[in-house]
Amino acid sequence: MKNRSSLKWRLISPFVVILLLHCLAIVLFTRGFLLTRTELPHSSACSDVIDSPCLHHHYDGDDENRSSSSGSGNCNGSGWTRATVDRVVIIVLDALRFDFVAPSTFFEEKKPWMDRLPILQKLASEPGSSARIFKAIADPPTTSLQRLKGLTTGGLPTFIDVGNSFGAPAIVEDNLIQQLVQSGKRVVMMGDDTWMQLFPHHFERSFPFPSFNVRDLDTVDNGCVEHLLPTLMDENWDVLIAHFLGVDHAGHIFGVNTTPMIQKLEQYNKILETVIGALKDQSKPGGLHENTLLVVMGDHGQTLNGDHGGGSPEEVETSMLAMSLKKPTFSIPSDLGISNCGLNVLWLSLIQCVAVAFHSTGRKYALAPSSSLISLLQYRQCLEFLSLLEGAAIGRVNPLLFSLGAATWFLDGNGTDGLDHQLDGWMQHYVNSLCINAWQVKRYVDVYSGSSVIGFSSEDLLHVEDMYSDAHDHWSHATRDLLSSGPEAYISSLPVVMRQVDAYLKFLDGVVELARSKWTEFDLKLMGVGLCILLVSLLVQLAAVRRFDKHFSFSLPDGRAMVSVGLVFALSLVLIRACSFLSNSYILEEGKVAIFFLGTAGILDLRYSIRKKKFILEAISSILLVCVVRFSTEYGISKQSSSSSGISPLGSSVDHPDAISLTLVGSILSMLVLAYLLLKFVAIRTDLGGQKSVINGTVLCYMLIIAHWVVESNLLTVPPVLHNIGRTWIPRIIYAVGILQLLFLALYEYSLRKNTCDHQRDLIHKIVAMTSAWSSPIILLAGKQGSLVALATIVGAWCIVRLGNLGLGLKDGSSNYMTVFPLPVTKWSLLAVTLFFCTGHWCAFDGLRYGAAFIGFDEFILIRQAILLTIETFGFSLILPIFGLPFVVAYLLPNEETKKTKNSLFGRLALVYLMYGFIAAATTTFTVLCVAIQRRHLMVWGLFAPKFVFDVVGLILTDLLIFLAALYYIDPDENIERDI
Amino acid sequence: MESIDTKSIQLGRNVERNVSVASALWFHLICSLGIVSGFSVSRFVCSIDIVSNTDHFLMILWAVECPIVILMFGVIRRDSSKCSYLRAVGRGLLGLPTGALVIALCAVALGAPVGKKYFLATVNWSLLMSLFTVVPTATVFGSSFADWQRLFANTRPVGSIDYMLCVPAHGAILGSWFGAWPMPLDWERPWQEWPVCVTYGGVAGYVMGLCVSFGLVVFSSRGRDHVKGE
Repeated sequence: MKNRSSLKWRLISPFVVILLLHCLAIVLFTRGFLLTRTELPHSSACSDVIDSPCLHHHYDGDDENRSSSSGSGNCNGSGWTRATVDRVVIIVLDALRFDFVAPSTFFEEKKPWMDRLPILQKLASEPGSSARIFKAIADPPTTSLQRLKGLTTGGLPTFIDVGNSFGAPAIVEDNLIQQLVQSGKRVVMMGDDTWMQLFPHHFERSFPFPSFNVRDLDTVDNGCVEHLLPTLMDENWDVLIAHFLGVDHAGHIFGVNTTPMIQKLEQYNKILETVIGALKDQSKPGGLHENTLLVVMGDHGQTLNGDHGGGSPEEVETSMLAMSLKKPTFSIPSDLGISNCGLNVLWLSLIQCVAVAFHSTGRKYALAPSSSLISLLQYRQCLEFLSLLEGAAIGRVNPLLFSLGAATWFLDGNGTDGLDHQLDGWMQHYVNSLCINAWQVKRYVDVYSGSSVIGFSSEDLLHVEDMYSDAHDHWSHATRDLLSSGPEAYISSLPVVMRQVDAYLKFLDGVVELARSKWTEFDLKLMGVGLCILLVSLLVQLAAVRRFDKHFSFSLPDGRAMVSVGLVFALSLVLIRACSFLSNSYILEEGKVAIFFLGTAGILDLRYSIRKKKFILEAISSILLVCVVRFSTEYGISKQSSSSSGISPLGSSVDHPDAISLTLVGSILSMLVLAYLLLKFVAIRTDLGGQKSVINGTVLCYMLIIAHWVVESNLLTVPPVLHNIGRTWIPRIIYAVGILQLLFLALYEYSLRKNTCDHQRDLIHKIVAMTSAWSSPIILLAGKQGSLVALATIVGAWCIVRLGNLGLGLKDGSSNYMTVFPLPVTKWSLLAVTLFFCTGHWCAFDGLRYGAAFIGFDEFILIRQAILLTIETFGFSLILPIFGLPFVVAYLLPNEETKKTKNSLFGRLALVYLMYGFIAAATTTFTVLCVAIQRRHLMVWGLFAPKFVFDVVGLILTDLLIFLAALYYIDPDENIERDI
Repeated sequence: MESIDTKSIQLGRNVERNVSVASALWFHLICSLGIVSGFSVSRFVCSIDIVSNTDHFLMILWAVECPIVILMFGVIRRDSSKCSYLRAVGRGLLGLPTGALVIALCAVALGAPVGKKYFLATVNWSLLMSLFTVVPTATVFGSSFADWQRLFANTRPVGSIDYMLCVPAHGAILGSWFGAWPMPLDWERPWQEWPVCVTYGGVAGYVMGLCVSFGLVVFSSRGRDHVKGE
């Protein structure tokens, strides 16, 4: 007994080692790569301001008359601070490059696409105008969804926002729109439907237009134009968001330096002219837009090719124009720089102009537009969302914008004396906002560290604490002075206030730096170590393959080269496929690429079988199978692009009743064929023993699945009771039966089963019992396509195994394993990959079929539903192939050899599993390598990271399943001990 | 042409598998010229561009190439005593659509797009590929399974005619296989469309195959001369 277990252990131990190595590598790499941030579900209310240490009194400013802004009754009409504007019009131009807006004089040379939005430049350069152009720097990833998220929550985007929403991208964190809605503001949205995904229920009115068709330059824009002007004339909104997509799409399709792009920009210029004209018409006292703020902004930039998503300067630099329609209450002295700089109010000169007053304000522009927007909106409405707070780790008040909002141009401390009073009042307001903001940020950091899995380290927290108390101490002094000395102290207190502003800005900058390093910087060391361990594990696998091959190969003449055509071909297939993951295009088309390789292998097989004049039928049917898989994959892809919502009921995308019933009949027929095959197997193999009952149980499950489908399809009218049973109880019964079957098989294996002398036959029984036990839940979860795919799997496996025999006996039966097995195993794994795509999955989170997790259950329990989802996702691509892999061994060898040495059979089995594991690990290693190389690539979060997650999960699962399968199948004989 | 014919009759069955280096050179040159003239006809006469008008371009290409290939390989048909020249040409003409069908099926299995939009392009492309691969062998050997097996399953060409049939055909197939590689890339170039880059690959592979096969013919004939000399 000891021998047996030790031999078994020796056969299995490599799998354990590999599993552990992979786990370690992946944990390390993931910690370095996948930046995670926990979403906090809290949201702040404006009453929180009482808790803050800031000044609450509202200074008597210039315009008391509108101090009670509409609709915010819950906080005495005041909100966090007082609103400085009444309405806001936000026009988002997707992918607005900075040089679209900024005048060409600002750049070294004039390019054709510059100066195409002259209206904005004119606004900004007009003397006395209250419009200014800003350069805004977005945080990567510069994709629209991530940017909108960043803009509205003020957070830094990370790959995994751990939240409690299961799949839906809706924002649950505290955010601007929610705060607006809470305070009674009416928000109107038009344009890109991404907003609707993020804020499904927030808008008062919305006119979303589909954004997924990149080739469509005009639908969204025309839709916006159609609704924008009429809405501007309406009274029933407070915030208007219009999101134009044309420039983004024009960039993607044609690039920046093209006529369509220039046409788009010219069209925008016209639109903006009309909008501004309309606003100006209404901006007289008493008009609709008397105190309206217009913001024209980009959410990110784009490269000259029209790409975006990454962190290159072209992509992150975008622009923003802010204009207050209220005329400045006093004129701006023209000798003070800003007006002279005219258009150069852009970043650098702006800092120069303002630096006198606000040292260190420069960096704030280096923040995401999010910061700008947030700060913008801060003073705007009732600023409850100053509160934005939580989440607004990077929200800060932008002084220039603030001044804009207040319609009082702040220039600098040396301004004319007459301005000082107003100026000072404004400064007070500003400092107060900063104070609240700083307090909120501090609170956010505290709460975040308290509740997040991976919070800030204690040193970081101490540092934040220090910075905050520094700033705050300062403020306490200042307020005391102010309160004690009354209004006359305003003038003298100006320097104090200035210092205070500095202190708060310093604090906010510090937090941003910290958050940035925490949330957006990769830990290269960890990534490198993880990658190295993965590479080492590959070597371990190769070494194990070699060792097993040496020990179990029979009659390997020393002189014979180990290399065969099959091995070379298999290796190059694996290598090419692995290398293809270095390019985003190939990852996108992974399913097609896998089919390409599988088809190539099929054609070569055909050639080979013609050469030997054997198995030609199998070869042709394998090519036909590839065709079938290919078409069903394409069907799945077409479903992917047509259904924008990730959750679509399986197999029911064809709505026509005839089509539904036709697919149903097809599924049921193939189910019956499957059942027939199993029954036939039972009938032929009379010595099945206990496994017979397992297989019969599966057949029963198949019948239940058919009943379930019939009930689900609503084709027959069934009484509600039956309907309920069919809908919820049949799946549960099937899950239960599946678990029982597996338990029984495990127990049977270890206690009841008696050894027969025909090990190969035993092995086949075990495989059939095991795969059939898994098949019923997998088919159930896969939906109606499940039975068809299962049938295709069987045909594919049969072809691979039969064709694998071609490689045998080439050299009079003495061929070693390395010439026989690699090709079938490679094809097996390719087949598994194609099945993954063919069952309608793809490597993205919206490729998951959340619907499948709820088959048989209505309520959501994380672990249970996650297990179901995993089985559904990897059922056909991992579970069935891995448990079915021993077929290759069982059928693919000369019979007399097997019977002679049982242990050689299991040696081969272990070898085959090692090869399979190697293939999986090799592809995953390349994915990981690619992710590491491309970590700043534009598609990192959209494409590489999901692919990485899928591959990594797949690899761990592969290792685990291989280990379990090896544990189950490998059962070496204690008596015949070979010299392993 | 005449001289080859008579020579091969004179030399008998064993030598029938070989042609002289000079005539092999003519064969290869004419084959390459066929492609060049196909390109130039579509380019300068019809002023068609492969990217903008793939169907017509491919059609002109194979229409120009077709008579050249069939007529030429008809000359070196096997058993020219038993099998008339016309018959060989007929075999070639029959081989053209048959080969195209097989090639189209293989291409579809490998992922060639299907649909109304691509139908004509696929047909024309597979006819062209059939001219490169199947038609020469069909013209020379007809439906002799042993020869097909020797050339395409075992890849064991014997003699210079075999080289001329087998090597460019494999070149064309390999070339178009590799030609499919850039297709998934997201460069959004018009030549990435099916079957433009695959055609480029196939033609390039075919031309390279012609070069290699000529080299092999020269090499083998030298070996033969050497043996004869001894």
